[in-house]
Amino acid sequence: MSAEYSIETEGLGRTYRLRENKKKKDQPRELVALTGVNLQVQRGELFGLLGPNGAGKTTLIKILTTLLGPSTGWAKVAGYDVHRETVKVRPLINMVSGGESSGYGLLTVRENLWMFSQFYGMQSVEAYKYIDQLLAEFGLADRANTKSSDLSTGLRQKMNIIRGFMTGPEVLFLDEPTLGLDVGASRDVRSFVRRWINENPRRTLLLTTHTMVEADELCDRVAIINRGRVLACDTPAALKHELQQEAIFNLDVSAQNGLEAAAFEALPGVRKVQLTPLDGHSQLQFILAEESVLSAVVNTLTQRDVTILNLTKREPTLEDVFVTLVGRSMAEEEKVGSNGNGH
Amino acid sequence: METAIRKNTGWRLFIQTILGRAYPRVVGMAREKSWLFFEIFLPMLSVSAYVFVYRAIGAPKEYIGFVVMGGAMTAFWMNILWSMSSQLYWEKETGNLALYIMAPTQLMAILLGMALGGLVATAQRALAIILLGSLAFKVEYALGSFWQLLLVFFLAMAALYGMGMMTSSLFLLLSREAWHLANLAQEPIYLASGFYFPIKSFNFWVAAAASIIPLTLGLDAMRQLVFPSGALLGFLSVKVEIAILFGLMVVFISSARLLLGKMERLAIREGRLTESRR
Amino acid sequence: MNLRSFRTAAWLGWKIESNWTDPFLFAVYSIVKPLSGAAILVVMYSVITNGNFTDPLFPYIYLGNAFYMYVGAVMTGVSWAIIDDREHYRTLKYMYVAPIRIPLYLIGRAVARFLTGSFSVFITIVFGVLFLHVPINLAEVNWLLFIISLLMGVVLLALMGLTLAGVTLLLARHGDYLGDAVAGGLYLFSGAVFPLDVLPAWLRPLGYAMPITYWLELLRRSLVGSVAQAFPSLSAMSNGQLLAILAGMIVLAAVIAVITFRWCDYQARERGYIDRTTNY
Repeated sequence: MSAEYSIETEGLGRTYRLRENKKKKDQPRELVALTGVNLQVQRGELFGLLGPNGAGKTTLIKILTTLLGPSTGWAKVAGYDVHRETVKVRPLINMVSGGESSGYGLLTVRENLWMFSQFYGMQSVEAYKYIDQLLAEFGLADRANTKSSDLSTGLRQKMNIIRGFMTGPEVLFLDEPTLGLDVGASRDVRSFVRRWINENPRRTLLLTTHTMVEADELCDRVAIINRGRVLACDTPAALKHELQQEAIFNLDVSAQNGLEAAAFEALPGVRKVQLTPLDGHSQLQFILAEESVLSAVVNTLTQRDVTILNLTKREPTLEDVFVTLVGRSMAEEEKVGSNGNGH
Repeated sequence: METAIRKNTGWRLFIQTILGRAYPRVVGMAREKSWLFFEIFLPMLSVSAYVFVYRAIGAPKEYIGFVVMGGAMTAFWMNILWSMSSQLYWEKETGNLALYIMAPTQLMAILLGMALGGLVATAQRALAIILLGSLAFKVEYALGSFWQLLLVFFLAMAALYGMGMMTSSLFLLLSREAWHLANLAQEPIYLASGFYFPIKSFNFWVAAAASIIPLTLGLDAMRQLVFPSGALLGFLSVKVEIAILFGLMVVFISSARLLLGKMERLAIREGRLTESRR
Repeated sequence: MNLRSFRTAAWLGWKIESNWTDPFLFAVYSIVKPLSGAAILVVMYSVITNGNFTDPLFPYIYLGNAFYMYVGAVMTGVSWAIIDDREHYRTLKYMYVAPIRIPLYLIGRAVARFLTGSFSVFITIVFGVLFLHVPINLAEVNWLLFIISLLMGVVLLALMGLTLAGVTLLLARHGDYLGDAVAGGLYLFSGAVFPLDVLPAWLRPLGYAMPITYWLELLRRSLVGSVAQAFPSLSAMSNGQLLAILAGMIVLAAVIAVITFRWCDYQARERGYIDRTTNY
């Protein structure tokens, strides 16, 4: 692979034409899933795409894995244009989508994986060697001869993940790989992913997730994506560092009268306020320009007869970065943008 | 794992893909024993019903053999309709289609694998029905030329599965509406292709139109080659039928290739063919 | 609760059966398909008998085949819902956790097929009367017998469908035509297209044990009285006797359906089959 970047996009956009509503024929609708995306991912990087559901992550992965053509701009994977040079791209990549099964229920785990290895031209002896090695690594060795229809969702997902790694791709795309996995299994997958990239420094891994901890723990760099746009792109540390000068406080409060976030937004030095009603009390989360602004916040609370139950200062997380960029938490953004549908 | 994995390309990859995709067809079916009941025993009963209709109306003996052979061949037609034509649609719904498109292999090889696997699995069923039916109803055969019979069977199957490969892309584009088409193509084809009576019973043009379905001429030629009075009731001469079957094979397989390419391009442009729409 | 499960399922079945295609295709489906099925028998009959449609055997075959369409339609309707919900929509598990009665839900799903099936049966019979001299005279039809028989048949087929649905819970998806395959198999033993007397003696008892045999005979007799002579071994029985036999068999079918479905349902849940997909 001679290309400078493993993945490179410029001005990449994708618009879906939605099927016309029969009752409103004069209103052809379009959904802009991705717009003006510029990314450069180095070889050997574990790159994360972080964003809420419907942000455009899957669309981006589909374009990069040659399954979807871009509406604007271009994208290259391993130095080849994903739209014009699909034949050159495909041998070098693989993809795993969380929450989707692959293969056939009546085949065993080992048979399913072997079948896919054949579509990549792997020789059976070698394929079985890798399959057995990976099955052992994922704790699936004892289920190798179980029909995949008899596996639990989590184990089927592990099989799907093995399918992606098995072919030794130069660029691997993992679309929400831990979707539907329990905490322990997710941790196993994350540690495997990290180990794989460490042991294979010339390979590249692009991972989409809407889980902060996944992006934070795993990725060398993260692009935060929302409503089809990349809002920021840097290492998790650097992204959080921008918030380091600011102070982040969590306050658990009990209010006699109603409490509104707007009451604090006007205070000088308050960057963002988030109010979450909890069982019997509320949680306020403040991003303040500096620590000293806290006294003004506390004063306002006192004036409104609000009792402070607990006050903690904490380190910024990627969630805070998202809130600063978008103005809402990912969960809220998903609710607002729920008319987007997983593109 | 850093050592590069050796991978075949070109025709080796093509063959590997065919065998890889054929594997679940052959193994998967045998794995659930219930197919013996549903795909051999029940069709056998169905064939018997037509045999008894002929007996009830006092038909000559050779018609019994025609029904047994035609009944066995319905297995292939069912396989084409429900496990070839609608298969890409199922692959889409289960998420496999995207993985197939993304793989470095050719979709044509995947389809050929499906066809080969389906053919091998179905041939077992058809053979079982022929054997059981022949024994149960004491069918008499008079084999003319074994090699011609083999050639006719091979050409008919190649043309038939080529047709199935072609319609699988069409059905995918039509999405669930294809269900109707598959359903629609059952009884009318049993009728037009002469599964239960010689196609010569129709007038020439009806029989000629029905010959677009490769099983029509395949069945007619095979009946001519294995039954004593087959040649008398044949539609065209076996040699002409062989030539037409060859033509059909070429047309269907090349159309399958063209349509598959079109389907893939459309999938990439529109982005909806690789998505499950439940 | 029971009524609502049934009504909702019937509505859902109708939506699934009819919302994805245009009326034209739908009509073609309900006309061309059944008429072709009938035409196979008509061609077979006419090739051998040189088109002698006046023999009572012809209306026997024609009407038996026409009404037999209900068997495939209802049995497929009830059992196909299992495969469709489990492997395609993947909603069977949600139906299981919902407070509905699964058997009623399944039977409800078949209502749409029953309605479209009725259309096919009607068209086939009309075609036979108009073009093939099937001797139905509306003034001579025994309507009461016809309606009672038809209703009893619907109950019978729904129960048989439920038995098959139970078995389907334990089966893989071999094809999309399970109900039709079973219907095709039973065709042989139900005297639909030939009198049971044609069967070898050792197979006949199976035919007489099949409730569909009596049901079809009642329907044929209600429409064309003279057809009874085409079925020698039943011709001595009166309509009342046939009805009594059918009623008894329906009770038996109900017992079998309940036991089978419960057992299969229990097994399917034991083995975790409710949410599996078995495509291959």
